[in-house]
Amino acid sequence: MRPRHPSLYRLAADGRSLDLLFAQCPNCQGLSFPANAPGCMHCGDPLVQVQPIARPGRGTLLEYVTLHVALAPGLPTPSIAGDIRIAEQVVEEGVIAVEDESALHPGMAMMAIAVPLPSGDVFDCRFIPEEASQ
Amino acid sequence: MNNWIDGNEGVYVAGIGLHPYQFPSETPYTHLGLTAVRGALADAGLTWPQVQSAYVGTTSIGMAAGRVMFRHLGSTGLAVAQVENASASGSFAFRQACMEISHGIKDVVLAVGVDKHGDGRRAANKDGIERLSDTATIPAVKFALMARNYLRERGAGMESMARVAVKNHGNAARNPYAQFRKPRTLEQVLASPKVAGDLTVQQCCPRGEGAAAVILVSGHALKRLGLDPRRCVRVRASAATSERDEKVYGQGPIELVRESSQLALEQAGIGADRLDLLELHDAFSVEELLYSEAVGVCAQGEGASYLERGDSQIGGRCAINASGGLIGMGHPLGPTGIGQIAEITRQIRGEAEGRQHPGARWGMAHMIGLGSVAIAHVLSAANA
Repeated sequence: MRPRHPSLYRLAADGRSLDLLFAQCPNCQGLSFPANAPGCMHCGDPLVQVQPIARPGRGTLLEYVTLHVALAPGLPTPSIAGDIRIAEQVVEEGVIAVEDESALHPGMAMMAIAVPLPSGDVFDCRFIPEEASQ
Repeated sequence: MNNWIDGNEGVYVAGIGLHPYQFPSETPYTHLGLTAVRGALADAGLTWPQVQSAYVGTTSIGMAAGRVMFRHLGSTGLAVAQVENASASGSFAFRQACMEISHGIKDVVLAVGVDKHGDGRRAANKDGIERLSDTATIPAVKFALMARNYLRERGAGMESMARVAVKNHGNAARNPYAQFRKPRTLEQVLASPKVAGDLTVQQCCPRGEGAAAVILVSGHALKRLGLDPRRCVRVRASAATSERDEKVYGQGPIELVRESSQLALEQAGIGADRLDLLELHDAFSVEELLYSEAVGVCAQGEGASYLERGDSQIGGRCAINASGGLIGMGHPLGPTGIGQIAEITRQIRGEAEGRQHPGARWGMAHMIGLGSVAIAHVLSAANA
């Protein structure tokens, strides 16, 4: 299977979890996401010839909500979206793959996993509570 | 000069006009816009050839909408420019008009906002960057997260947010230009279908279309043209900012509103406690609670109780969204910011029949665009 968004993540060695792809700024050492960002989100460095850095797709859940209507084409409802701090000063919205919000609370550790899409040949990134992965 | 907006003997709103905000229809945008412009000209007692320059705020119509529309008023050779800045497009068109007058470039300038509901194309979807979530650039999700965070951090109930919608639908019911004209009860707002998180549909602004126009004149032109100064409202401040790195999760939009509104108040030389009117971006109910604190009409943490006490009602300490706001009057994007200016002008003139805030002399129009750009204008009675 291939990733839906190859510039954002890749399958980790365990074959289930995902590594997220960052760019590390040669000027301030800060991480920007994704790796192909055209400038450092912290200091504005142009990030020329910076190689992507793969880091385990871990993060801290900051907030989450259930989406009750399809706010984007093809969005299944209900679904859960959440803001996750995936690195220092890097917060991204992710799709959370749990039955309902009762499994979630702010501050919990999350991990990115590969979830096959219905087409069968593509996987996408979903976040689950890290405790549920064990 | 201490305050650039006082140049050219000051900037005044001399005329206002609107096409009612409405649900998407087959009405051509030219009809919407021309209705508003003709209304503003008639209100000012001016004619089209007297307008020297025009700014058009729009997001979804396409290139060069102004000339296509204005040729039906007569080809007078005036300068025309189009301004796009998401929800704040009209507000920034208005700011451009203010700058042109205050710097003495022109004396009579039109700012018009006109829009049709578009296809939602955004620059953020064309930046070559993939995102982990398909809803990452959709405002409803961002503000639903803001709402959930508000409820969690404040220990507030959902009624606190819903009361914003009750007030603003109530105000809109008294505004003939509003998209929604029905008062809603707290029970109705809470029972309406959920959209995202805790936000029900009646706590979200509708999709729509419409137009709003204002004619701005210099103080010099006000005298030369013999306009009635009692119907001219003075622009006291115009301030614009964009977002900074968020230091605390969830505080980015709030700090954006705080900085831009404080800059405007400072420029106007007043404190927030002097504001009789505040039109602000209540695209989603929680915003009004947080932004009323950020502007400073109430203390930090007091937004919900300020509303519950009736302080933000028409007739209260500071009428917030007397027009009905984005939730009630509507949010057709391009017109919205200019519609705010029209509402404040109408209120300060004492002409807001059916929803007049008593003794209105100072007002602020505040708008944000896609949660990332902000703009604030302060207006007052000419003799304030």
